[in-house]
Amino acid sequence: MTLTPEIIALLMLDALFLFFSLIALVLSVRIFLKWDMHSTHALQYSLEKQSYLVSVVIKYIFTLKIPLFLFFIFTCNKLSNIITGAMCAAGVVNSVDFGLYLTVFKIINLYFFGFWLLLNRADMKEEKLPFTKLKFLLFILFFVPLLAEIVLEISFFSSLNISKIVSCCGTLFSAASTSYLSLLFKVDKTLVVGIFYFFAFLIGIAYFLKNSVVFIFANGMFVIFAIVSLIVFFSTYVYELPTHNCPFCLLQKEYYGVGYVMYVTLYIGTFFGIGGTILNGLLRSDDRLFLKISLLFDTLYVLIVSAYPLSYYLKNGVWL
Amino acid sequence: MIMLRDIRKVYTSASEEVVALKNISLHVKVGEFCVLKGASGSGKSTVLSLIAGLSKPSSGEVMVDGKQISKLPDTFSAHFRRRNIGFIFQKYHLIPTLSVKDNIIVPLIPENLPLAQIEQRVQNVMEKFSIAHKATSMVKYLSGGEQQRVAIARALVNHPKIILADEPTANLDATLSMELMTIFEMLKNEGVSIIVATHDPLFFDLACVDSIKEMKNGEIVS
Amino acid sequence: MKNKINLFLVEYAINALVRRGGKHFFIGFIFTFLIFLLSSTLFISDAIKLELGSALHALPEITLQRFVAGKQSDVPIQRVDALLDIEGVKSAIPRVWGYYYFKPAGVNFSVIGMDAFSRQYTQTLQTIVDGIDMKALEKENGMIVGEGVKKILGANYYQDFFNFVTSDGQWKKVFIAGTFNASISLEANDMILLPKKIAYEIFGMDTTRATDIVVSVSNPKEISMVVNKINLLYPDMRTITKDDIRVSYQNIFDYKSGFFLSLFMVCAFTFFIIVYDKLSGLSSEEKKEIGILKAVGWSMDDIIKEKFYESFILSLGAFMLGICFSLFFVYGLQAPLLRDIFMGYSNLKPSFNLPFSVDGGMLCLLFLLSVPIYIGATLIPTWRASILDADEVMR
Ligand SMILES: Nc1ncnc2c1ncn2[C@@H]1O[C@H](COP(=O)(O)OP(=O)(O)OP(=O)(O)O)[C@@H](O)[C@H]1O
Ligand SMILES: [Mg+2]
Repeated sequence: MTLTPEIIALLMLDALFLFFSLIALVLSVRIFLKWDMHSTHALQYSLEKQSYLVSVVIKYIFTLKIPLFLFFIFTCNKLSNIITGAMCAAGVVNSVDFGLYLTVFKIINLYFFGFWLLLNRADMKEEKLPFTKLKFLLFILFFVPLLAEIVLEISFFSSLNISKIVSCCGTLFSAASTSYLSLLFKVDKTLVVGIFYFFAFLIGIAYFLKNSVVFIFANGMFVIFAIVSLIVFFSTYVYELPTHNCPFCLLQKEYYGVGYVMYVTLYIGTFFGIGGTILNGLLRSDDRLFLKISLLFDTLYVLIVSAYPLSYYLKNGVWL
Repeated sequence: MIMLRDIRKVYTSASEEVVALKNISLHVKVGEFCVLKGASGSGKSTVLSLIAGLSKPSSGEVMVDGKQISKLPDTFSAHFRRRNIGFIFQKYHLIPTLSVKDNIIVPLIPENLPLAQIEQRVQNVMEKFSIAHKATSMVKYLSGGEQQRVAIARALVNHPKIILADEPTANLDATLSMELMTIFEMLKNEGVSIIVATHDPLFFDLACVDSIKEMKNGEIVS
Repeated sequence: MKNKINLFLVEYAINALVRRGGKHFFIGFIFTFLIFLLSSTLFISDAIKLELGSALHALPEITLQRFVAGKQSDVPIQRVDALLDIEGVKSAIPRVWGYYYFKPAGVNFSVIGMDAFSRQYTQTLQTIVDGIDMKALEKENGMIVGEGVKKILGANYYQDFFNFVTSDGQWKKVFIAGTFNASISLEANDMILLPKKIAYEIFGMDTTRATDIVVSVSNPKEISMVVNKINLLYPDMRTITKDDIRVSYQNIFDYKSGFFLSLFMVCAFTFFIIVYDKLSGLSSEEKKEIGILKAVGWSMDDIIKEKFYESFILSLGAFMLGICFSLFFVYGLQAPLLRDIFMGYSNLKPSFNLPFSVDGGMLCLLFLLSVPIYIGATLIPTWRASILDADEVMR
């Protein structure tokens, strides 16, 4: 176990989150089981008050989760300096078997808790609090990935072994890799990029046709293919090296941290695309605000990633 | 305007249950001036706080302006309260360490109005109740009558449709009480509904009072 | 968006902080102090790391030590030629150096033997050596010392010469021909440079041997390959690469600051409890105020927000204050007391300046270690305050 200051900060906040989310879980179960809007019993009044605590706690956790996700990557990047063989966060994350799952859970939780807050906001806007039961049920469900993330993160840092030699992103993200990541590279690049642009296009179509189901679906597929195409294709243009396929090195200073911009726009775009549209469905509203935000940020993402290969082509007259 | 239907209110503490209100029904129309009288502990204050949505009935319903205020979630009842209800308390209940002006602003804060509008409204009420010259003094250094006027100004700064006053004359001398009566009368003429809980006989034979309800042991007896 | 920040609420919060100054001053003071301690330790350890980093930068890529019977022993100088034959090796320089224990002051000097012609293996040494005439030094039996050494010798009445005791008990008088500036680097402070001949004499070493050999490699990517070849050629030699040293230094410092952080965690936990306790105990006046706010139309949400602004402003203020103090303490005053803990207790090493090393990442780290914990401690007390029943607190 290595205790760098960054790791201690992350672990300490994990402990805090665990504590608060357990409180929120107990309250949520109680509220879910006993909530009755029409009751004038004292119990109902105290449940109403407790529901505030839950939302305060979740707001607290979520507002920290977004910067902490970036901070986690930052920490891994920094750790790569002392772990032999690692050049960036990728090597560090992969030095432990479940490092990838940890990252995936972190991302999923960002979507879940963001959605919870949207739902909470919508709920509090209505006199009848129509989604209260639903939102506490959702929290009970979301607690599972949250717990998984916290537990994985704690065991991740405690099993991190700095003397172990790990592979750098160059070998992880290549066809030669032994992990299932290598499967990505077996697929044709142009196909992946084609699918990526196809779903970007589909988002646009769904927006104009006002078809929410397609919009959600397209956004979901868009995140997946955005990441895959970023690894196999776009990242090489950022690095200007045909063999460098890492999604983490983008976050390093050498590339002006452009990765942070990419990931944040991708997150905002797809989050509002999926979460916002689902919420609209629940509210039966045709408020287009979320869709507009989604479309804007999705487009922004497409423009940012496309700019790299295009400018490379304009400068050098060839593709990598 | 204000409808209480079959209200029961039970306070449960660890050791005992206190029935504060048993089966109360009350109707107050727009612009009506209603006086609740009764001995101490008969439940007058409880009725007022139910109407304001500050506490919730154990059964029955409280309708104010067509809304069942007792069933509103907190955000909405607070919103409703600050738009529609001005509360004048027995002990003024000002924030002693704030200045007169800051005390009057308090109900406006959650609304997040533009600064100019807030200034305007505060200035208006301060002038109306002639405390503008004390605007920056701290409330705890004011005399009782001045504090009372600040409390009234605070209650009226949002132009409420309903005034709830709990023993407003308890700490006032005869002239100040009379002054308050003229204010109430003026408000009534502006179409504001007023409910006063009191045992001050001064209210009982006032011309502008429309109805007097007597309470006893948590019930309205007349 | 409708959720824009309500400045009046912020103003009210600031006002409330001021009005209840006594209560908040205590918390704010402790919090500022904690942040000050925390950021000072982290600043110092980072500055030392940076300093070491630049020292390491100058370090040879590979150092070869010979081990006989598990103890380090001298290396025959002929091995240098064999090493030079290995493909990829740019240079191999035998070094004669060691520590000399100076009893009266209880400190170790690093004694380094030099000769006129060979290139030096580090940039620092090269700059020092470039400035002196080795031949003259050899002739007049002189040495060049670091400032720390000069100070200690001076304190023991060796103003312009020093008597070394050689390994066979003889005295060897060497003149102090000059000093070099320790500000160049941490490592140079306790150094004595003298001609190789004298070094051999003091250490009682055979002139066909060297203490160790430093090897540089033309292409840094080939270091591991070269290391493998050397290991095959001379199984009795241990190879230490720059990277090994870097990692072990980094570990030592992370370990030390990790230790401090663990202490800090205990403090933070205590602090969490203090804040929780302080904020939970609402005075009747505060309760009454909350009751009034509710009665005039504040919702629970408004009260929670107001309290949040209070704690956010307080903790952010304490955070910035703590950081400013520690910036001044560490870089302005050079961190008296605290830096000793990190530097070891050698009184030879104190005279270098901590290089400025604060960056955005560090500030983020400090922020995450402090403000969220404070806010976390206030969550439940805040909520408790917001659910007070207006009609109950005002009777
Ligand atoms: N929070 C509470 N907990 C327990 N009992 C309460 C509470 N609030 C009020 N009561 C009880 O409810 C009854 C009615 O109280 P209320 O304050 O409404 O009387 P009141 O008519 O306003 O009296 P007064 O003229 O003295 O102000 C009293 O018996 C009182 O003891
Ligand atoms: Mg009363």
